[in-house]
Amino acid sequence: MPTFKATFRKYRRQFWVGLALSCGVGLITLLGWLIYLDRIVTQQFEGRRWTLPAQVYAEPLELYVGQSFSADALEQELRRLGYHRVDAAGGPGSYRRRGTRIDFVNRQFQFWDALQESQALSVIARGNAIESLQSAGGEDVPIFRLDPLLIGSIFPIHGEDRVVVTPEQMPQFLPAALKVVEDRKFDTHHGVNFTAILRAAWVNMRAGQIEQGGSTLTQQLVKSYFLDNRRTLGRKIEEAFMAMLLEVHFEKTDLLNAYVNEIYLGQDGRRAVHGFGLASQFYFGKPLDELQLHEVALLVAIVRGPSYYDPRRHPDRARVRRDLVLKLMGEFKIVDPKTAAQAAAKPLGIVGTGTSGGGYYPAFLDLVRRTLRRDYREEDLTEAGLRIFSTLNPLVQNRAENALEQELARLEKARKTKKAQKLEGVVVVTAPQNGEVIAMVGGRDVGFDGFNRALDAKRSIGSLVKPAIYLAAIESGRYNATSIIDDSEVEVKLADGKLWRPHNYTEEATGPVPLVRALSQSLNLASVRLGLDVGLPNVTKELKSLGLENEPPQNPSVLLGSVDVSPLEVAQLYTAFANGGFSTPLRAVRAVVDTSGKPLKSFALEVTPVADPTAVYQVNRMLVQVMERGTGRAARANLPSGLVVAGKSGTSSDYRDSWFAGFSGSHQAVVWIGYDDNSPTGLTGSSGSLAVWSRLMGSIATTSFSSPLPEGLQDVSIEFMTGFAASPECGEEVISIAVPQGVQLPVKPGCETGTLQSVGERAKEWLQGIIR
Amino acid sequence: MEAPMRSISLLAVLAVAALSACTVPQPYRPVTPPPESMPPTQPGSQTQTQPAQQPPPIEESQPLPPPVVREPVLSAASRALVNQAQTQLVAKNFAVAAASIERALRIEPDNALLWIELGKVRQAEGNYVQAENMGRKALSMAASAPRAQSAAWSLIADAYRARGKNNEARDAQMRAEALNGR
Repeated sequence: MPTFKATFRKYRRQFWVGLALSCGVGLITLLGWLIYLDRIVTQQFEGRRWTLPAQVYAEPLELYVGQSFSADALEQELRRLGYHRVDAAGGPGSYRRRGTRIDFVNRQFQFWDALQESQALSVIARGNAIESLQSAGGEDVPIFRLDPLLIGSIFPIHGEDRVVVTPEQMPQFLPAALKVVEDRKFDTHHGVNFTAILRAAWVNMRAGQIEQGGSTLTQQLVKSYFLDNRRTLGRKIEEAFMAMLLEVHFEKTDLLNAYVNEIYLGQDGRRAVHGFGLASQFYFGKPLDELQLHEVALLVAIVRGPSYYDPRRHPDRARVRRDLVLKLMGEFKIVDPKTAAQAAAKPLGIVGTGTSGGGYYPAFLDLVRRTLRRDYREEDLTEAGLRIFSTLNPLVQNRAENALEQELARLEKARKTKKAQKLEGVVVVTAPQNGEVIAMVGGRDVGFDGFNRALDAKRSIGSLVKPAIYLAAIESGRYNATSIIDDSEVEVKLADGKLWRPHNYTEEATGPVPLVRALSQSLNLASVRLGLDVGLPNVTKELKSLGLENEPPQNPSVLLGSVDVSPLEVAQLYTAFANGGFSTPLRAVRAVVDTSGKPLKSFALEVTPVADPTAVYQVNRMLVQVMERGTGRAARANLPSGLVVAGKSGTSSDYRDSWFAGFSGSHQAVVWIGYDDNSPTGLTGSSGSLAVWSRLMGSIATTSFSSPLPEGLQDVSIEFMTGFAASPECGEEVISIAVPQGVQLPVKPGCETGTLQSVGERAKEWLQGIIR
Repeated sequence: MEAPMRSISLLAVLAVAALSACTVPQPYRPVTPPPESMPPTQPGSQTQTQPAQQPPPIEESQPLPPPVVREPVLSAASRALVNQAQTQLVAKNFAVAAASIERALRIEPDNALLWIELGKVRQAEGNYVQAENMGRKALSMAASAPRAQSAAWSLIADAYRARGKNNEARDAQMRAEALNGR
């Protein structure tokens, strides 16, 4: 029997060869695997450096003398931008307030058309207007543009969002703080810190749970690149190797910069907040380079567990850890220990989620995305670091959201029967003169990024269609605001032979009424008669000219608004009225700029004449009467006295849709309320949407609708109910309306002054001067 | 916005008084009964009193008083932006020039002069259709301002001419000159 030793000696060579071979194979496999890992990790590192989501900015606030702004309102806007109040002169992003005077230092900002440098400014706002705007040297500044609010990003499908910061934009103690808290040997190790791993293992074993992490910053960076959270040993070994490989390829500063921009720091709904730049906006509403010590320390504290240490949901835990971070920073002399102690005394300083400080406007951002998708691919939008200058006005957006939420709540509370589903609503606010969409609320749950009703809910517009009928009537030359039409039963034979018998909401026929009254009171019978007389094709053509995407079919029911239109399209339609017969395409984006600041695209203001301005003027004067005497008169209670507005209510058949579309001199708003499943709400335009509209318009600084009387028209006074020419001393409910010159009016019996008409002629010229 | 509206109402009230028993329809406002006060002192307007119950012939036989002129002016903010735009225009930086004027338009959307300036940028860019449209938009807001109307017609004439529509250009130019003569 051979001994083991003998066998070994006999096969010694084969043994060693075998061993060498297997070692060789093993080594080659290992090498191959390492090369594979190397490729993955370097690709990720390089690749990620360039994927930047597009950032979207709101419209910048412009300041000028005479602007409607109180000192309180201005302070609120500065705070919305994340400016903080100081007592002595501060740096960019700070302001001082002494009564009506606010001194601030703006942040430098590269707009798409110019660079606005950082400078010190003084504003004095007495009452409700800016009285003076001066630079530090005491020079009057005619107009000044503040840095715009970052309202969101267009981030990729996997939901990561970041605001990239360069080393210069990092607070100088941030890298040191990260190292001292997370990875003390960062500067010397080669990717993996074995002693840290062993120590952590020892501590965790003794504690019976995971208490310490032994990962270096580099390992954490690698872990962040891979989205699955498999914490297997195999994965950990892979990560260790990749960390070492990264260290071979890249400098420590590069790795740290990547870490600062990559590390996951919080969740905002569908959006994953990555990097300190975005975290700074998300938690504090201001840029990273403006953070103070205690704020930076909080972010460093969050790194260890953004959910566990979420400062909004677990403020106590977050505070404890933040103070620990500060203590370490003091111990390791990153900052003076006394400073650290002072910082620990400060509150967390988190801004609330929602509309204050970098809110999230899903309906509006949806519109921005759709606008840009026409010109840009998804990858460009989500990776190329584009900067998008939008038209959103955060203040008006805020007011629109509040108005809708409050009114819907009030309406539901007032209902006797509790319905299973909730009322839904939309608000679209535009500046009609330049077509900019300044606010958009897509649903009752304003922060919810779901079905965007403003763009996608095509609903029956009801009486909103009527101004188009009346416009077509006036353009035909056969009608004016005082023409008498018959609000009486009408029967229409439809194409299929059936008879259509529309009726008024009051179920009554009013008889002969002047045009202005028929429109103001939204009389269905009169409007159908008018539309049939003008000719259905003329009405549908008018709607198309005014901006409706598709010309409606030749159904008489179109005359009562049985045509499905989205709220944004309604806004486009009414823009033609608000602009006196000129249409301008609604837009949500002003300009797009690339990462280096080069302008890529600007959306130019365009106007197109779509209807005779003289005819539109006459209709607009009637729409003013809607608000004075007609279905919109309840709005008066919420509006500043003397504010002139024009508008139209809309109610679809069976009370399924409640609409209101109306405009002032500077704003236009369209409101819709209804149920998603189209069941009747029992609300008319006046009893539902009007309240949202008037609440909104009453809460923003807006100007009266005013337009000069065109040549060829004259002002006349008539009785609203009968259409007779009258005067305030002689006549009931006398209103002022515009009609073509030379129109003869029957005078109210008993009031024959006769001078009224020729007087009207002379007065017209006089008034033209006064109106402006 | 408050002060001009107040003086407008004051003038309107005075106008009502001047025409004693007659009512002067005021746009957008419920007509107020005439108080006893002074007739207005607007230059160029004529005041006439009429016996209340006597119906004169409907046809107007009296000459119209010369219209009151209210030429639009640029606010300080708008002026600064327009100056900036003109510099940018000279440098052929059309998009940026237009952006400056659009900023001014956000402050004063009803100012015909700004629409004319924006139209000039479009003209320089070669966008003649928009230049004409903006001229027309300016016209629609310059009812009592002959000089502004004249500038608008000039712009429209240039826009026609650039597209070879010489007849229309000539007509527009004549209107511009006629208005400037006043």
